[in-house]
Parts: sequence; structure tokens; C-alpha cells
Amino acid sequence: MSDSESTTQAGPPPADMDEIFVEHPFRQFVAMYFRNYAAVAGLLVFVTIVGAALFAPMILDLDPFEMVDEPLLRPGEGGHLLGTDNLGRDLFIAIVYGARVTMAVGGAAAGITLFIGLTIGAMAGFYRGWVDEVLMRVTEFFQVLPPLLLAMVLVALFSPTLETVAISIGVVSWTGVARLARAEFLRLREQEFVKAARSIGARDRRIIWLVIMPNALPPLIVNAALTVGIAILFEAALSFLGLSDPNVMSWGKLIGDNRDYLLDAPWTVTFPGVAIFLTVLAMSLIGDGLTDAFNPKLRER
Amino acid sequence: MNKYFKMAAGGAAMLAATALAVPTAQAEPKQGGTLTMIYRIIAGHFNPAIASGTPTGIPGTQLFAALIRYDDQWRPQPYLAESWKIADDGLSVQVNLRKNAVFHDGHPITSEDVAFSIETIKANHPFKTMYGPVTKVTTPDKHTAIIHLSAPHPAIELAMSSQLGVVIPKHIYGEGNIRKNPRNSQDIVGSGPFKLKEFKPGEYIIMERFDDFFLEGRPYLDQIVFKKMAESTSRIIALETGKADLTAFASDPQELTRLKKSKHLTLTPDGYSAIGPLNWLAFNTTRKPFDDKRVRQAIGYAMNKKLMIKILYSGFAKRATGPIHPGSVFYSGDVNDYAYDVAKAKALLDAAGLKPDADGIRLKTTLNFIPGGAVWKRWSEITKAQLKKIGIDVTLKASSDFRSWIKTVAGHDFDMTLDSVFNWGDPVIGVHRTYQSTNIRKGVPWHNTQQFRNADVDAVMMKAGLENDLAKRKALYAKMQKMVVEEAPIIYINASPYHTIYNHDRVGNPPVDSIWGTSSPMDNVYIKQ
Repeated sequence: MSDSESTTQAGPPPADMDEIFVEHPFRQFVAMYFRNYAAVAGLLVFVTIVGAALFAPMILDLDPFEMVDEPLLRPGEGGHLLGTDNLGRDLFIAIVYGARVTMAVGGAAAGITLFIGLTIGAMAGFYRGWVDEVLMRVTEFFQVLPPLLLAMVLVALFSPTLETVAISIGVVSWTGVARLARAEFLRLREQEFVKAARSIGARDRRIIWLVIMPNALPPLIVNAALTVGIAILFEAALSFLGLSDPNVMSWGKLIGDNRDYLLDAPWTVTFPGVAIFLTVLAMSLIGDGLTDAFNPKLRER
Repeated sequence: MNKYFKMAAGGAAMLAATALAVPTAQAEPKQGGTLTMIYRIIAGHFNPAIASGTPTGIPGTQLFAALIRYDDQWRPQPYLAESWKIADDGLSVQVNLRKNAVFHDGHPITSEDVAFSIETIKANHPFKTMYGPVTKVTTPDKHTAIIHLSAPHPAIELAMSSQLGVVIPKHIYGEGNIRKNPRNSQDIVGSGPFKLKEFKPGEYIIMERFDDFFLEGRPYLDQIVFKKMAESTSRIIALETGKADLTAFASDPQELTRLKKSKHLTLTPDGYSAIGPLNWLAFNTTRKPFDDKRVRQAIGYAMNKKLMIKILYSGFAKRATGPIHPGSVFYSGDVNDYAYDVAKAKALLDAAGLKPDADGIRLKTTLNFIPGGAVWKRWSEITKAQLKKIGIDVTLKASSDFRSWIKTVAGHDFDMTLDSVFNWGDPVIGVHRTYQSTNIRKGVPWHNTQQFRNADVDAVMMKAGLENDLAKRKALYAKMQKMVVEEAPIIYINASPYHTIYNHDRVGNPPVDSIWGTSSPMDNVYIKQ
């Protein structure tokens, strides 16, 4: 910091201070992100949903499973903002409580995806040779399996609980992350700074986690944001097929439970569907914003 | 657009006119025609002597004749047996066969075959109590068989009917292990009104008229096509478009609601009183706190059965009040109804020592449910929501498939479970097994999985199972129902809303004129057009 300050003071006064002044990278990142309005909107939606997921159950203290009224009431009828579902449960309360489960499953599944994908991708990209060969063949094996079908089999085998659903989603969707991580590692391991680290005697573990990983992260973070969205869709698909934990309320479960009534009471499926749509859209906009923010080429503009 | 509409409307009016003209011509049954029946599953074989279950029973009762058939008022009628008589001491039954009856290969049906069939059923059929007291079957002449019993056995008439008491040819099935006999599914030689034409495993079975059937002029139909259609939507479309004439055991409320709107279809709940399907909540009465009658009764009071039936079955199901199906002659409504009463339920839990904690929770427990049906899942979710109101926190336990659910329940590894159990006509066959303390057989599906032990109930059932006088027998079962409901090893919710659906423009004498419904011979059914 002090170096750059001294240069600015020494040189002739610049036309625009901002262009020369070297910002902290994080501030630069935030500034870039907020220049993308769509991404900001996505972030707002995301924060709202996470806020609802976290705080609503604390404030409301209701049971989303309680049958409060006649089944299939229209939105607004009987004082139920979004109506009631096929068992007479309040849809609004169910959706608010469902946010927690949906986000938790989405987040956990994305975490598992990242963990498996990063580990395998990093190993393959860093060590190359036979390690790469073996790991990539394993990855290809998982890639050719139809993901939804595999997830269904896993959930059916180990009974539908929240954990199994999250793990199954993670297990079937890590291949993309692994490929991406491998490509990044292959590229970065030849860079000067990695060679420098190696020349001062750093061990493999240090090079992988502390030298290459921070530089490989940006595209992976973008990918993680998108993975959350995909995981939420997966959870919805599994719930729709009846493979969800019957003890917890999630958006996918709401859709699955009410799909038989689609023609008579479309709102029971529409509202949870809209919730899923908004969340996945938000995740994807956030991912887009992150790409922009991470891209150094855009910063010069 | 308007022109087409008018044309369509004109066509519809013409169709309506022809439809109105039809009833005048329908009085007399006529020969010929093919009946297409669709069903959600198709069995692997069609020999009802060695297997229960409706997928075997529906085609099985067309291919094989039983000794007796029943009308829809529980009155036994002659079928392959021209007449029969239960001895005054109740220890033997003399059966007189029709003299003109032959198997599909032309061999005459003799008393030897009857003896062989009863012995085979006794040795192989899952319902052990059916022919349990049979000691031997003697054959004084070719057309007379005498069934000897170790004790009076009023269930014997029902056991000789429909899919339970079929007569199979000794010269075909007499050799080797009958379970492995390939002729259970191909080249079947039966005794019934229809013979096997073609069976494609997993897809369909085609049966054609047996010309030498022992009832003169029957059957009316030339052919029955029994086709598997697993998907509810495909079944709806097949029935709506007229591609299928008949289906049975339809219970999905959405399916029923939609098909009810079709003008050419009739939906009827008739024909299921013998099968007697009941849905209930069962307790593992050996686990705490369900060993306490008061806890079980409290749960009975906490369940709003009327609401459940309304929400789950859109009003298509009847309430069940006890261990015997409301359609049975032995049904008695004189039992504790466990009318919805949350205060009473809470008081009973208090009395049982289950006090609420700081969160209002008195008890944490689990409920297993049958996988694979949306209705079962909803059933369990409603139960969970209702029990929460009295402070019972229920975790629903989903099983990965039907087999694993059976295994869990048969292995007594549950607290509470949803179950669906059939009465199978006579209480001795389908009811006793659920309550007899001698029938706790871990690992066997649908035994006394509640592990309910009550010496008084055992004694009443024992007595009723030996009583040949119908009125006295009814009184004994009325007592049994009252006792069992009071002890509450099971909370009864509803009779499964099974419906037979047929195209009334085409199907005459639909197979709903027996307590056995479609699991009885369709020799009387005809095609109108």
C-alpha cells in the first residue's frame, strides 16, 4: 500500500484519481458486483429467502403440518394468504417453513458437491499421470450415469431422510466441479508462483491448498452458486416423485403432495413452484454477478 | 369453428338418441363378444389353490370353478357342487358334484379331484385356518365327496367358494411339487367357464369360452382379455375412450372423481364385502407406552376419522368401526366409536402418566406407513398432525419398498403402523389371525403383528369358529368386536374404497352380483352390442 501511495504522490496529478488509486481487491470485487443490477436483485431475493428461512420459524412458532382449515381453500379464503393445500395446511406457513429445509438441503448438497469435486479435481490436476487417469475414469463413470435416476436409487435404498437426500444429490452432481477444478489445477500448476513455492521447498499439501487453491477458487465459487440452484431443483424433483422426508416440509414436497390436485387447485402447486423458481433464478443471477466481479478484465473499464 | 361445433353437437345428439334407444334391447343376455378388463398388476400364475391375492384370483376364478358360489347377500349357491350338506354334528360335509362337469381337456371332474384339491389347498395355501380342521376327504363314489372335520367349522362353506375353494385336475397337478408346476401359468387345464388362450407374462392373459362348461348356455362371453395397466392415467384414458370395459379394485380418489364424470361409466362399491378390506392404525402392544390400553384409546379419540375419510377419499370410503368389515354378515356396529374428543384423549394420557413437558410433548414415537401410494402418505401425515394436538410427537418412517415395510412390521420392529388388511369372507379366515394370541408368528406377514394377547377374546373367537348356528355365531362375533374395540390394539379408520368400474353401454350383468365381485366367475356377464 505504501509503495503505491508514494508513486501517486511522486508523479504528476492524474486526470481521475479513481483510475490510478489501487483499491483493496475485496472492495473492488464488491464494487464490480454491485455494478450488475440483475445480480443485486438476485442477492436481494436470496437474502430475503434466507432471512425468512432463518428468522420466520423463530418469530412465528407454528407447525407447518397443522391442518388449520378446510383443504384446498383459494388464496385469501379463510384468512389464508396463499390458501390451503390438499390436507388443509396453510400454504404460506408451509412455504416459509419449507424455505429452511429447501435451503438447507440445497446448501448441504452444494457443499458435498464442492467437497467431492474439488478433492478429486485437485488431485487429478495436480498429480497428473496415473492418478489423473484413474480419477478421470471414475469421474466419467459417474458422468454417464443418469443423475436423477441414480439419486432416486440412492434415496430409495437408504430411505428418504433429509441427510440421504442431500448426500444423494451431492454424489450425483460433483463431476462438473471435478472437471473444472482439474482444468484450473492443470493450468495453474505450471505458473511461475507455483514453481517459486516449490523451489523454496513447500510440500504438495501446502501447494495444493494454500498456493493453487486460492487462485483456482473464483470459477469454482461461481459454480457453487449455480450448484445450490441445481440442488434445490433436484430436491424438488425427488420430492415430486415422492422421495422426500415426510417429516419435514419442503417446497418440492408441497408440489409432490399437491400434484394430484393440479387441475382443481392450481395454486397449491404454483406458489411453491414460484418459490423454487425465484430461488434458482436468484442463485443463477448471483453466479452471474460473481463471474463479473471475479473477472479482472472487466475491472479496467 | 362455429360450423364444426354445430356438427359435433348434432353428432352428439344423434349418439344420445341411439343411447336412449338401447335400454329396450338389453333385457335378454346374448352370446358373443369380448370383454376387456384392465388391472394394475398381472400375476405370475393363475392357480388360486396355492396362492391368495386378487391378481391370481380374478383370472383364476374364470379358469377354475369352485364347489360353491355366493350371491350378493351372503347366501351360498350351488356351482360345481350340485348340492351339499353339513352333518348335524358339524363334523362332516357331503358334497354332491354335477355329473356333466368336465375339465378343459375333456376329463370328467370327479370326487377324486375334489379330494386332491382340498388336500392341495390345505398344504399350500397361505390361509391355514381355511381347511385347518379337515382331517381327510373320502370319496364313496365318483360324484360324492365327504369332507371330514376334527371340529365343527362354519367357515367351510366360504372356504369352498370363489378363489378359495377351486377344483383343480389331479391328473395334471398331481405329480411333483405343485408350486413348480409350469401349468400354473401355461397350458392351464381348468374347470371354470373360460379356458386359457394366451398368457403373456407381465402383459395380458386372454381367456376364451369353454364350450363344454357344466352350466347350460354359459358363459355368454366369447372371450375375456385381462390386461395389465399399471398407470392410473392410462387406466383412466382406456376407460374413458371405451378401449376397456371393466376394471376393479380402483380406490384412488382422483381416479374415481374423474371417472365418475364419464356418462358411459358406472362406479360401484358393490362386490367387496367378502374381500372385506380395512385400513387401520396398529400398535405394537408390547412396546411402552402402547402396552397401556389407555394410551391406545387416547390415540383412538384423538383421530378425527370422519375428517380423514373426507380428506383422503373425497367421501368414497365407508367408516370402519371394528375388526369386521361393514359389509360382512357378522358386522356389528355396537362398539365404542372413539368419537373425536381431544379433551378425553388428553385425560387418558394424563391418567396413563404421560404428562406434557415444557414444549407440550408427552411422548415421542414413530409411525410406519405402506410405501408407494400417495394416499398412504397423506393418511400418515394427517395422523401425525392430529396426534401432535394431544402432545404426541410422531416421526413418520418411510420404507424403501413394500417388502421392507412388510419385513419391519412382520418382525415387530415398529411402534405404530398403518396397515391394510382383508377379512377374506369368513372371520375364521381373515379376522382371527389378527387377534389370536396363538397366531403371533414373527416374520410371517399379517399375523397378529400387534402381539395382542387377551384370553377372553381368544375364547370368544374359538367358540365362534366352532358355532354352526348363524344367529348364535353372529352374537359371538358381536361380543368379540365389542371386546377388541374396547381393548384397542388397533384403531379402525375406514374400509378401503374399492370400486368396480364398467362401461354400462357395453357390459350387461356386470360382475358385482356376488360378495366376491370380480373374483367370482363371470359366466353371467354379456356384451350388449
